[in-house]
Amino acid sequence: MKGIWLAAALAAGVGSVAQAQQAGTGPGATPRLLPDISAIGSGVLVWNRDDVEALSPRSGPSGPAGKVTPVFQELEVALQAVVDPFARADVYLTFGPEGAGVEEAYVTTLALPGGLQIKAGTLHSPWGRLNQQHPHAWDFVDAPLAASRLVAAEALGGPGLDVAWLAPLPWFAELHLAYQETTPLEGEPGRRTLVGRLAQFTDLAEGATLGVGLSAARLDEPGAGAWRDLYGADLYLKLRPATSRSYLALQAELYARRLSGTGDPAVDGTRLGGYAQAVYRIGRDWAVGGRWETAPSLADGRPGPEQRFTALASWYTSEFMRLRLQGSYDRLPGGKAGLEALLALEFSIGVHGAHPF
Amino acid sequence: MTIRELSRIALLLAALLPGPARAAVKVVTTTEGLASIAREVGGADAEVQHLSRGVQDPHFVDANPTLALKLRAADLLVDVGLELEVGWLPPLVNQSRNPDIQPGGRRRLTAASAVAVLDVPTGPVDRSMGDLHPGGNPHFLTDPRRAALVAKAIGARLGELDPAHAAGYAERAAAFGKRLEAALARWQAELAPYKGKRLFSQHKTLSYLHEWTGLVDGGELEPRPGTPPPPAHLARLVEVAKRDGVKVIVVESYYDTRSGEQVARLTGARLVSIPGDVGGDPAAKSYESYVDLVVRRILDALRASP
Repeated sequence: MKGIWLAAALAAGVGSVAQAQQAGTGPGATPRLLPDISAIGSGVLVWNRDDVEALSPRSGPSGPAGKVTPVFQELEVALQAVVDPFARADVYLTFGPEGAGVEEAYVTTLALPGGLQIKAGTLHSPWGRLNQQHPHAWDFVDAPLAASRLVAAEALGGPGLDVAWLAPLPWFAELHLAYQETTPLEGEPGRRTLVGRLAQFTDLAEGATLGVGLSAARLDEPGAGAWRDLYGADLYLKLRPATSRSYLALQAELYARRLSGTGDPAVDGTRLGGYAQAVYRIGRDWAVGGRWETAPSLADGRPGPEQRFTALASWYTSEFMRLRLQGSYDRLPGGKAGLEALLALEFSIGVHGAHPF
Repeated sequence: MTIRELSRIALLLAALLPGPARAAVKVVTTTEGLASIAREVGGADAEVQHLSRGVQDPHFVDANPTLALKLRAADLLVDVGLELEVGWLPPLVNQSRNPDIQPGGRRRLTAASAVAVLDVPTGPVDRSMGDLHPGGNPHFLTDPRRAALVAKAIGARLGELDPAHAAGYAERAAAFGKRLEAALARWQAELAPYKGKRLFSQHKTLSYLHEWTGLVDGGELEPRPGTPPPPAHLARLVEVAKRDGVKVIVVESYYDTRSGEQVARLTGARLVSIPGDVGGDPAAKSYESYVDLVVRRILDALRASP
């Protein structure tokens, strides 16, 4: 109330410096003890010409061949706040067609010396680029096929600890070492997992930022003496003039999975996959993009690389809602090709913490 | 390994270790406007950097991790507050490993806490009203009186962090305030004949300017904060312009000018581009030259209007 009277007095044309002040009582000083609460919902209308379940199984949305099917993707509820002067906590609950679960729930230290920061709880592994983002932070509606086939069906992650060290270098270089129990395949027992990652960012010029990441992980594999190694390289280049909301973002990831000591020569060995994408944000309201990807085919009797080409158009009604139309051409080994289309709606309510770059 | 190789490695390691004690306090500000004020106050005792540039829309800066490096070594972070930087500053602060610049930390100064805030919503707020700032209008550096208060607050905080130079910070903040007071009188005298004149703006960025100039808010091109103007809204503004005699449309240089141009064409009003902050125009190098340029551009348009 006091503020209104003061503002009224000022509006009357009082010009002295002292009267523009209301130190300590402005909203900048308002205490806030409730965590930031937000909900992000996403649903898709999906159409695929062929039987995706049989020919190209994936974790992303799909439906019966030739039918337009509405699919509820996910509702994410986030609670985020500072715990005390030494740590903050982020909790992400997810509700999907398969039920509810904890996507992530972890504390992050804020006051460790020596450039160290520790995340502890259940969290996505510091592996690759897309793996650390929640689906609503992705540009495309679904993840590349290689992510679910080579890394983890949903996201590589689970209970554990991630220690990150920010190197005292003139560019951003962060080294992660994580020890977790992960479940790359849903419903399986957890596997002890050791993850390492080096993420680096540098400004090439004004408005041109390059990010390069290298990741590696070793996971237990069922059977004595067997293990699974994951290797990843990721590249991100963002070009955005300072005066513009428009930007061009180029992103690519390469994944390799090596199985060793399983005793089955058909299973042992290295599989490769990856994707490259370009997204052009056109001002406030629009974005268009293209993605090429390759992943080992899972179709019966069609071994070899499956390639998919995807085009995307996004319309942002505001910062808090977007509608995306995505079309893909999926080419299986042996020449069989599939067509797919997705129309996805996503909304966000409440206060959701800003995403890292 | 030879002695020479060992000495090279030692040199390389030494380069990675923190250097000797610095002479100047490292101040990092979120905007260029705050940086220019911090420079006035800090003088030679402070080294000032800013995270965003005056040519940028401060609502939409990228949370580029390379900016977190500036925060890592910051002795003081000065932000605007009122959620102006909510879309990009928090992840940078969290990445910085600098515990004292967290909100409320002893090395964090939120400038909004030093001034009286306008446009604080009085009723329930939701996003049907657009992307508004629930804590009030954060564009208070269009007011030199508030800039002087921010300078005073920066001086006080720098004095706490660097007591050896406290007197210098306080003196420079006071001198800056005095200079602004003199300039304010000059600007107000020049604008006095136009008191009560209505202006359109793109976004609600001019509330504080209206307060000290006596100019009046005629309406915004954005029907609600952050939403694009539909034709019906622009048509309404054309009627308002005719009814209320609005002759000037003020748009910050980082906004698209198409809506403003359209309204200008249909009403005969003048479209004025102003820098959104210090550094938003090559001529707006310091805080005073920024306000001077804003006043000059608006004055030119008002004088040219019949």
